Amino acid sequence: MDLRYDESQQAFRAELRAWLADHVTRPWTQELRDPANDADALVELRRDFQRELNDAGFLGLDWPVEWGGRGLGPVEKNIFQEETAWADAPPVPNFLGIGLLGPALIHHGSEEQRRRFIPKMLSAEEIWCQGFSEPGAGSDLAGIRCRAEPDGDDFRIHGQKVWTTFGPWADWIFVLARTDPEDRYGGITFFLVPLHQDGVDMRPLRQITGEAEFGEVFFDGALARRAHVVGKLGEGWQIAMTVLAYERGATALLEPAKNDRYLKDLVTGCRENGTLGRPDVRERIARLLADNEVIRANAYRTLATLAAGRAPGPEASLEKLLWTEHARRQSEAAFDLLGPQAQLATRAHHARPEMDWAYEHLWSRAGTIYSGSSEIQRNIIAKRVLALPTR
Amino acid sequence: MQFDLDDERAQLKQATRELLEGESPLAESRALMEQSAEGFSKALYAQLAELGYLGLLLPEDAGGAGVGHVGLAAVLEEMGRVAFPGPFLDQILAIETLRRCPGDEARRWLERALGGDVLVVLARAETLSLDEPAQPETRLADARIVGRKRWVPFGAQADALLVTTDQGLALVPRPDSGWNATPLETIDLAQRFAEIPLAAPGSALLGPAATDAALAEVDRTGALAAAALLLGVMERSLELTRDYTVERQAFGAPIASFQALQHRMADMLIQTEGTRAAVYRAAWATDAEDADAARLVAVAKAQAGDASRFVCGETIQLHGGVGYTWEYDPHIYYKRAKTLEQFYGSTRDALEQLLEASGI
Ligand SMILES: Cc1cc2nc3c(=O)[nH]c(=O)nc-3n(C[C@H](O)[C@H](O)[C@H](O)COP(=O)(O)OP(=O)(O)OC[C@H]3O[C@@H](n4cnc5c(N)ncnc54)[C@H](O)[C@@H]3O)c2cc1C
Repeated sequence: MDLRYDESQQAFRAELRAWLADHVTRPWTQELRDPANDADALVELRRDFQRELNDAGFLGLDWPVEWGGRGLGPVEKNIFQEETAWADAPPVPNFLGIGLLGPALIHHGSEEQRRRFIPKMLSAEEIWCQGFSEPGAGSDLAGIRCRAEPDGDDFRIHGQKVWTTFGPWADWIFVLARTDPEDRYGGITFFLVPLHQDGVDMRPLRQITGEAEFGEVFFDGALARRAHVVGKLGEGWQIAMTVLAYERGATALLEPAKNDRYLKDLVTGCRENGTLGRPDVRERIARLLADNEVIRANAYRTLATLAAGRAPGPEASLEKLLWTEHARRQSEAAFDLLGPQAQLATRAHHARPEMDWAYEHLWSRAGTIYSGSSEIQRNIIAKRVLALPTR
Repeated sequence: MQFDLDDERAQLKQATRELLEGESPLAESRALMEQSAEGFSKALYAQLAELGYLGLLLPEDAGGAGVGHVGLAAVLEEMGRVAFPGPFLDQILAIETLRRCPGDEARRWLERALGGDVLVVLARAETLSLDEPAQPETRLADARIVGRKRWVPFGAQADALLVTTDQGLALVPRPDSGWNATPLETIDLAQRFAEIPLAAPGSALLGPAATDAALAEVDRTGALAAAALLLGVMERSLELTRDYTVERQAFGAPIASFQALQHRMADMLIQTEGTRAAVYRAAWATDAEDADAARLVAVAKAQAGDASRFVCGETIQLHGGVGYTWEYDPHIYYKRAKTLEQFYGSTRDALEQLLEASGI
């Protein structure tokens, strides 16, 4: 065992930390609280920040240099997640492109696709969204009905996608669509589709937070080019699954780092309201601190496996359940221990300056649903790790 | 960055598994726990001593194995798996204490303890709770120790006690007349405790301040070690549950195919694996003398305690009626978990230490 960062990793952290100290001129929480920033303005701030990060060489850290990456490894990528979370830096707007599509192109895309799409993805010139879920197919993703019909050399997409995060600001969407109605898994193909064209109708959907951060999109004969199929026809399911698996652990240290900041505010709040000496309050906080360290310990384990170039083991399947369920307990504790102040809306008078608990509390209800719900995660553990029989 | 055990420790772990599966299968150690006077196999302890298991933490130049806390955790995980009965951990902690005491007497006892010739254990608690007395009532005066100690692990079988007194730590060899120990039988048969009245010759080892400092370090090892044992306990408990539910048929299917039970077992796995990550991270930090080590050990102990409560409890539940029988093994693990959760630093203590180490 050796959980230290090597010298070049430490140097990378120092470089990034210094850069963030110069460039995060205002913490993201304060930007969110500024009434001058409407939803579009916030996206523009994020876009600007992503551009700066990219110019400084901090994106695509673990991607090969030839496609615009920096050729480093998963450890540096996680250092990036940690430092940006601690610094409360603006989150990059193209997280779906960089997090999911980038690896898909690197592993399964054509040379031409990589050259065409990766640079603009990294520079935030083209924002991507993910078109997997449909009204009739969420957990049961292979049940998608959205279809791609041949049109000469190309395809026309018909159908609907929903819960499309960042859709309202996106330029492109990566879509799983049916190219064979008979073959449940082998009939799915992975398409790259421009959103700014006829036959595409993107409508914002309002979330429980009040913002319309996701949308639904209707395709009525939208054009998808043959050259924009990732992998071969019928390989979409396999690509989607390998990309999701590859991504597990890639950002393992992000959530515990965010929690460091959140828990610090929770402790500060309890100190301010004079309850930090109460045994019940202390126990509640101690358990959250312990849980967060368990999450981080598990993240190191996952990360070490990835860094050794191996596929993550059982620890990776725990990761999402651990952090999403912790997030719920943590923000529930904030509501309980900080009282109604924690429920003040983002821009309300007296809202806590460094932490938006109200938003975090609501958002914690999303984590256990998206990217494979908690129930689906448990099914996966039961089947793949414990090898329990199916009915 | 590497999380796996290195070759040396991985081999140690594997060799320990083979040794224990061969020499201490649960069916046999249950007979020892339930029927023998000592509650463990002295022959097997002698063999462990011979193989150097009592010196795992000692550096190689001091005649130890030098495998550190990571190596110790790997061994204890295996001992947890077979619910290994006896004073192994108590003896390790006594050795860790003796190591911190100057003087010939301490060195002599240390050597004999390492060789497995004598059993030495710590005797600290004085009340029925485990709370450390701020000022022990046990007195050391004129080379005699007078007082009463409770919860002395395997006290009745010990050859010497390391006793906390008003003057610091003292060593009391077993008097010719014996200890006059009263057993404090708990639900866990793998561990024996005794209450021991003391009015016997003894000698001072460390002054009060040095005693506190030494025991703080020993306690940290104890908490980590108990968490590692709990990891093994949970691991095996989950395996029993999996095997039983795959085998057991109800409503025309193996009960392991019911989603309600699958999700419970998934949660058991999450808790077990989360504990594994926390235990080895803390062990590594301790060996690396990381500034965060005390905090991480507290995390491991708290996690292991909470997790084992859940995992071992669900093991009984998912076994149904047989889970409530003496014959089946789930209760053995459940009871081991209770000892390890409460002794060697309770969950409550671990949480308080975590807060303290976090500056809260
Ligand atoms: C904030 C947010 C952002 C999202 N962003 C995107 C995005 O960008 N792109 C995208 O494609 N999708 C996105 N999603 C969609 C998300 O992936 C789906 O909501 C999710 O997969 C669940 O599918 P569903 O909504 O159809 O629920 P359902 O599948 O209908 O599930 C309903 C309930 O039943 C449970 N359930 C379903 N099947 C089983 C089973 N076999 N065993 C036990 N329980 C089961 C579920 O866990 C859930 O509790 C987003 C969702 C949210 C909340």
